[in-house]
Amino acid sequence: MESLFHHVTPHVGFIYPNESELPWTQLIVIYPYITGLVAGAFVVSSLHHVFNIKSFAPISRFALLTALCFMFFAPSPLLFHLGQPTRAFNAVITPHWTSAMAAFGYVAGFYVCLLLLETWFAFRADIVAMSKVRAGIMGKVYGWLTLGSDDVSQRALAIDHKIARILAMIGIPAACGLHGYVGFVFGSLKTREWWSSDLMPVIFLLSAVGSGVGLLIVLYVIVSKFRKTPMPNDTMRGLLYVLFTAITVVMVIEGLELLEIFYKGREGVETVRALIVGPIWAGMTIQWAMSLFVLAVTSALLFYNVHGERLVNWLFMAGLAMMIGVLAMRWNVVIGGQELSKTMKGLLTYYPEMFGRESLFTVLIISICPYVTLWLVAKLLPPWEEKIEPENRVFDVHKLA
Amino acid sequence: MTTQDRKFDQQAVALSRRRFLGLLGKGMVCAGTLVSANSAIGSAEVRGGKRAYQQNDAQYTESLNNPPEIPDYNWNDHQWAMGVDTDRCIGCLRCMEACKMENSVQMDAFHHRTWVERYVYLEGSNTAIVDSQADPKNIENTGSETKFRFDNRYRNVKVDKAFFVPKLCNQCEHPSCVQVCPTGATFKVKDGPVLIDTTYCIGCQYCVQACPYGARSFNEVRGVAEKCNWCYHRITKGLNPACVEVCPTGTRIFGDRNDPESPISLFIKNNHVQVLKPEMGNAPNVFYKGTDKEVV
Amino acid sequence: MPKHIVRLLALIVVVAIFAFSAKKFLTPDTFYQYGHYRGDAVAEIASKAPKLQGSASCEPCHKKAYAEWTDGIHRKATRKNAIQGVVYKYGPNCEVCHTGPAGNHPSKDAMPLSVEDQVTSITHPEIKVHPANVPGRKLMLTPEEMKGVCLNCHEKMEARPKEQRQIEVASHSGEELCTKCHNPHSPRIIYASLPQSRRGSAQAGKIVAAVCSGCHGAAGMSVNPSWPNLAGQHADFLVDSLKAFKSGVRKNDMMSSIAAGLNEADIRNVAAYFSRFSCGVTGGDKAEAALGKAKAANCAACHSAGGLYGSGAPGVSGIPTWPNLAGQNAEYLASTLRSYQDGSRTHPVMTSVAKTLSDSDIDHLSAYYASMKCK
Repeated sequence: MESLFHHVTPHVGFIYPNESELPWTQLIVIYPYITGLVAGAFVVSSLHHVFNIKSFAPISRFALLTALCFMFFAPSPLLFHLGQPTRAFNAVITPHWTSAMAAFGYVAGFYVCLLLLETWFAFRADIVAMSKVRAGIMGKVYGWLTLGSDDVSQRALAIDHKIARILAMIGIPAACGLHGYVGFVFGSLKTREWWSSDLMPVIFLLSAVGSGVGLLIVLYVIVSKFRKTPMPNDTMRGLLYVLFTAITVVMVIEGLELLEIFYKGREGVETVRALIVGPIWAGMTIQWAMSLFVLAVTSALLFYNVHGERLVNWLFMAGLAMMIGVLAMRWNVVIGGQELSKTMKGLLTYYPEMFGRESLFTVLIISICPYVTLWLVAKLLPPWEEKIEPENRVFDVHKLA
Repeated sequence: MTTQDRKFDQQAVALSRRRFLGLLGKGMVCAGTLVSANSAIGSAEVRGGKRAYQQNDAQYTESLNNPPEIPDYNWNDHQWAMGVDTDRCIGCLRCMEACKMENSVQMDAFHHRTWVERYVYLEGSNTAIVDSQADPKNIENTGSETKFRFDNRYRNVKVDKAFFVPKLCNQCEHPSCVQVCPTGATFKVKDGPVLIDTTYCIGCQYCVQACPYGARSFNEVRGVAEKCNWCYHRITKGLNPACVEVCPTGTRIFGDRNDPESPISLFIKNNHVQVLKPEMGNAPNVFYKGTDKEVV
Repeated sequence: MPKHIVRLLALIVVVAIFAFSAKKFLTPDTFYQYGHYRGDAVAEIASKAPKLQGSASCEPCHKKAYAEWTDGIHRKATRKNAIQGVVYKYGPNCEVCHTGPAGNHPSKDAMPLSVEDQVTSITHPEIKVHPANVPGRKLMLTPEEMKGVCLNCHEKMEARPKEQRQIEVASHSGEELCTKCHNPHSPRIIYASLPQSRRGSAQAGKIVAAVCSGCHGAAGMSVNPSWPNLAGQHADFLVDSLKAFKSGVRKNDMMSSIAAGLNEADIRNVAAYFSRFSCGVTGGDKAEAALGKAKAANCAACHSAGGLYGSGAPGVSGIPTWPNLAGQNAEYLASTLRSYQDGSRTHPVMTSVAKTLSDSDIDHLSAYYASMKCK
């Protein structure tokens, strides 16, 4: 570094004067992260709904709720980030279609609607049952949710099931589109060497699936421990396969991306190298260490054909590592891309704020919200395929019709 | 008019006579097409010039026939451009100060509509060391972010080559900032500049990311993006942009490309000019004379 | 179709209609008029009032400063310079140093005012804010800041083009303020760049010189040591001196009446005539000259070709409007310094300099400069 930049300034090298404040901060780090969790969770839920893989049946409705709850909060980091949040709808009222960002309102809105509809169809029989058992305010709420129809005939349920399946089928390309699109927001910017890559949407999509699976593993293990319910071996093995596939492909593509940057060796490649060993070295270390850990654990679990309690424990750790690794990767991409100056002659180091509108505190609140919402929604619509037992009365919704 | 010009004119006359009859036939065919095109575009077609960025037929016709109501100004008559003669820049930074005053830009080191960069090749070096006024050492030297001044840090070292390069928004023909604006709060007007509608901007800062030249900044106080617009409020009143007005050395040259005798037209005609980062494909409208391979 | 599907579809239709009408209703009227933006925005942005008003707007109130600037080198600003057919603006106009006086007048803290200016007297006619009432504004510049205004452009610095006049502050003026020698509105007049018509003709000057030769010698060497030699003197200094006599700024029984009889052209011509002669060393006591040399460092800042720390012929001024001292009559030099001391002659710099000299200093310095070669 000494020889490269002569250390004439506290910044390293030369940056444009307007660059010294990063336009996109940690809020934009968690925006693709949360969106990624949605995409991953949704893919897992559709493995049962669409492809009818039975081993995912126990968690498919839970995965659907997870996707829904995280999707509610996916736009919130953007909203907190806007300079004029009250004008946010301008992008929806007059969307400028050459902007990758203009579609966000529509894409996100479409996806929320899709998730809501699919959830409604998947849970309609339960909602109807609940509206009959529950009294008081909650009874009213369930009543509204039924839209005033208690039709749970075999025919109606068959239609519901069919529509839910179609929605899930639409949902898979939509989820891929949603997240590939987030990658496009970054990858389409020719200005930033660190982002401007054709592989960016693919990397975002695949790491999203990985992190979503990781989230489901972590949540499922924790919830099952609390509820003291057994975790079927098939389900855990299924999650293991998905996680293994995701991490393998993600690591290969990310590796290729780095290889391409250095192999092409375009102007400023020294600065890219300096970025990796400089401002984002911690992030890079976490990202690759976690990825290697996940790869090693999942490979070992497959190789030694592990089952039962050991599988659950190791898979839990791998899932957690996956989530952390992908979060670090989001940081490296979003913040790292901006720490690399547009001049390609300098680097910045970003120090996040602790408190304030755009701060780590906001990030923390926004990150906690989906979990709290999921807890509440899971109370409203229990996703577990079990009997509902209100006030000593045994009531099986599936036998109601 | 130089001798060469006159000669060229005579040639053109001779040529037109010789070709006149031959072209007559083709002209008859073309006329039909032109008439229909004319009727669609309207009477202003003659002086209309080119279509603005991302303008459809109806909007183009509207901009010709019904231009914005700016007193004594019609945007169809002008095509603004700027030149920067870096050989003349003395780095006095009066342009920065004037710009900040004129446009009420935030008075700190992180928000600039225009700035000046200093490139210095130390003796025997093949690369330049670059700094701008926002460099902390320069600010430390004056003790204030609003006293625009370069420090004299190269006084006691041997320098092979050194020069200043003023920067500002390039008002590109294909502006990336306009391309990525999700709302239409920033746009390229027909006479050239890229403007920002600060009452419509949502402050997403995607444009700040997209600008290859770092010309945009984000005003945290107003919550909107800001950038140079060549003092659109001045040029529509027949004045020069503030930076051009105060430049004591004539480094900045401004004018109308529609007028072949305007300073900028003569500047482009008589010099080898370059644009910054041509590989970005933005087709800037600020033309530099005397830049260097190190200039970014 | 089951009831719940029908109800759901109805709900979706209602929401869609609501969203669609909201979009229609909320889209600004002139959006899409000229493109994907609010058409009104263009005129709104254009309607902003300019702040910088141009130099002409300063003239009505600041007539004196404006006139100085108009005639001076800083005015090359508005003289259009054509190089290769490109029109260049060259030199600063008012708002380069006094940024934004018209728009923000007079509340701009960076506006350099001379120390003597009465701040309260410059209330701009259109902006009725009394300068004293502008909160947080400091109107007066400290000497250091005043210097900074000049050094913004004129400090010697790498990367500044050679054509730009630059000074090394330490060796040029040291602690002195720029305004001590330079009028900021017109820092220097470069005679060499003036048109030929403004320079004198030595040929024509010969006729006028006949009048002068009675006292100052045919070749500019005076017949009496108490009168100054003119040979080899800067023509510009001679012009200034004759004009000073003519206008009455300087007074001398003989010279005032002679100068009154000369017109502009005569003055330039006769100055050109005498400046062409080479002067002789008029001598002076060797011992006194040696003592004077030690004292002369103070004078050398102006009266030597190289400036304070530079080398250059002593007694030959670098600036053509300042007199050469080398080879001047010692007696004349001494009497001139004494006239600055007693106030019968005044000069912004020399009056104060002369007052620091003792009688013997004056004798030594005079002897020293009289013994130097003038070319």
